[in-house]
Amino acid sequence: MPLLTRHIHPGWLIIAPLLVLVVTLYLGPILNILWLSVTDPEPGLGNYAQLGESDALIRIIWTTVRICIITTVFSVVLGYSIAYAMVHCHQRQKNYMLTLLLVAFWISILVRTFSWLMLLGRRGLVNVALEDIGLIVEPIAFMRNELGVLIGMVHYMIPYAVLPLLVSMQSLDTRVMDASRNLGASGVQTFWRIYLPMTTPGLVASTLLVFILSLGFYVTPAILGGGKVLMVAEYISVQLLVTLQWGTAAMLAALMLFGVLAMLWMMSRFMKLSTVFGGSTR
Amino acid sequence: MLGRQFMKETLQDSAHAYKEGRMDRRTFLALCGASGVAMSAVMAGDAQAAADHVVMWNWGGQSEECHGSAIGDPFTEATGMGLRFDTSGPLEGKIKEMVDSGNVTADVADADLFNAVSLGVTGHLEPIDYSVVSKDKTLPGFALEHGVSVILYGYAFVYDTEAFGDNPPQNWADFFDTEKFPGMRSLYKWANGSLEAALMADGVPGDALYPLDMDRALAKIKSIKDDSLYWGSGSEAHSMVVNGEVSLGMVWQNRGRNIENDTDGRFKLVNNQAMAMPGAYIVPKGNPAGAAAMQFIATAQEVSAQLSLLDCLGMTPSNPEAFDQIPEDQQPYAITSAMNIDKIVYNDPVWWGENGGAAVNAFLDAIS
Repeated sequence: MPLLTRHIHPGWLIIAPLLVLVVTLYLGPILNILWLSVTDPEPGLGNYAQLGESDALIRIIWTTVRICIITTVFSVVLGYSIAYAMVHCHQRQKNYMLTLLLVAFWISILVRTFSWLMLLGRRGLVNVALEDIGLIVEPIAFMRNELGVLIGMVHYMIPYAVLPLLVSMQSLDTRVMDASRNLGASGVQTFWRIYLPMTTPGLVASTLLVFILSLGFYVTPAILGGGKVLMVAEYISVQLLVTLQWGTAAMLAALMLFGVLAMLWMMSRFMKLSTVFGGSTR
Repeated sequence: MLGRQFMKETLQDSAHAYKEGRMDRRTFLALCGASGVAMSAVMAGDAQAAADHVVMWNWGGQSEECHGSAIGDPFTEATGMGLRFDTSGPLEGKIKEMVDSGNVTADVADADLFNAVSLGVTGHLEPIDYSVVSKDKTLPGFALEHGVSVILYGYAFVYDTEAFGDNPPQNWADFFDTEKFPGMRSLYKWANGSLEAALMADGVPGDALYPLDMDRALAKIKSIKDDSLYWGSGSEAHSMVVNGEVSLGMVWQNRGRNIENDTDGRFKLVNNQAMAMPGAYIVPKGNPAGAAAMQFIATAQEVSAQLSLLDCLGMTPSNPEAFDQIPEDQQPYAITSAMNIDKIVYNDPVWWGENGGAAVNAFLDAIS
């Protein structure tokens, strides 16, 4: 035993069950998917070659990336202003805001998606009200198109954008801003040159979180897109359940996985990822 | 394979023994463990189900109650075996996954007849035993090697009488005519029915649809893309119509009555050129209850069960004997009723089984 503990830190024994779980229940299936992507229907890189041959696949991937980028930009900008307001208002108001944010956060995605249909649908509250007061003649097509998908996704993603930003803003040393003002910088200058750079780790964290979660969206595009907005997650599910092209599905899943990993790697070239995820800067 | 069969039989015997008190619980659990049946499944009673129940794999909702009363009760009366449900929806991929994993927990899947074609050739289904199941109690061409049509459903459309009351749309050509009938319309998202409707709208006669001319169908679909929404489930099709999102809606014809009621008659069902789809019962390879699944299917073919399914679920009988017993109030909504049978066209499950995957992907590419 002493020999063993000299070479292996006893902490590993405590972590071991977790490691075994992660490896068997998480890495196993992922490897299985990667394996499927090069073996089904026949061994080789045929599934990946489809990317070069099929305009349809490229278009689906492009739709997904485009929607995710737009969703991320809107969610993070709105999230930043919400977090900023929360940090700088009274504790009481802040509690109200946090409660509202968390209530939205906890409501099921299905409920939130269908609520948008009731609110902004063709015969929804907004369209009917606008028609009744004579502002519009034809209902505005908010839903069942790409705009609808974006509205639904941004709304769903805002709490995910706010929470990392809130943590980042709350931990700032406010004396730095005072010093900046004291040394003659205007409020705007202080924001752009001091405040924003200091909240960058929070910004990166919420951008990554929102973008990665958006990539896997399924329910919202399927319902609010009216069938015309096809994203990768829904396409994968069709290939698995309806057309039985498991190789194509596995290839797309692998592609998304590598896409996310590549993004993390690129980020790590510019900054220490541990700061993004709340670790120390050193 | 032989080993697994042996294990299954041992397990079934011991399930009986356990139930009758001839075997203690620990021994039974140990046997389950040895044969690789999950403890939790045993605790839930699935091993017993394997011995004296048939498990029907359907789509949940009302169908549980309706399949129970229409088929389950007479089946229990005749065989003494019970009926249990797995309501997770037997999509083709799930059936394949279940059979490939070797842990088959369902006996009869409420699927489409084209699933019987595509999963039959890959060896994922048990052949139908036509010494028990009758080929005459379904429409000709709908009794295939690996599946038999037990009910029919269909693709028809509803229209808004307030918009088109004076000059109502009559057929798929009208449905696709956005000039004569302006407004949004909804189509099925997974290609089935939508492609056939497009071809009929383009002038292809209903009895000469197959093999589908994909290019022609997709061109027609694309021609009304700006005025179209696409639904993926019956409830979505229903809500698109009821919430006023569309003026013309393709629907599963068995939903017609509910839509007419929910809109106080504002929307009306048109069955002309409606496409009859063979809904089929198929049996996953290595199903736990074995041959009892065939008896279950045979029970479902009986006229009384067929009429009961029509009454409870709105699913149309596929047994020709039941056609002239369709009650008066169901005439407009049953696709093979005397009122409709001369207007309808029939789906070709063999074409869909062989070409369905590619057709769905081509359709998705065209609409997205």
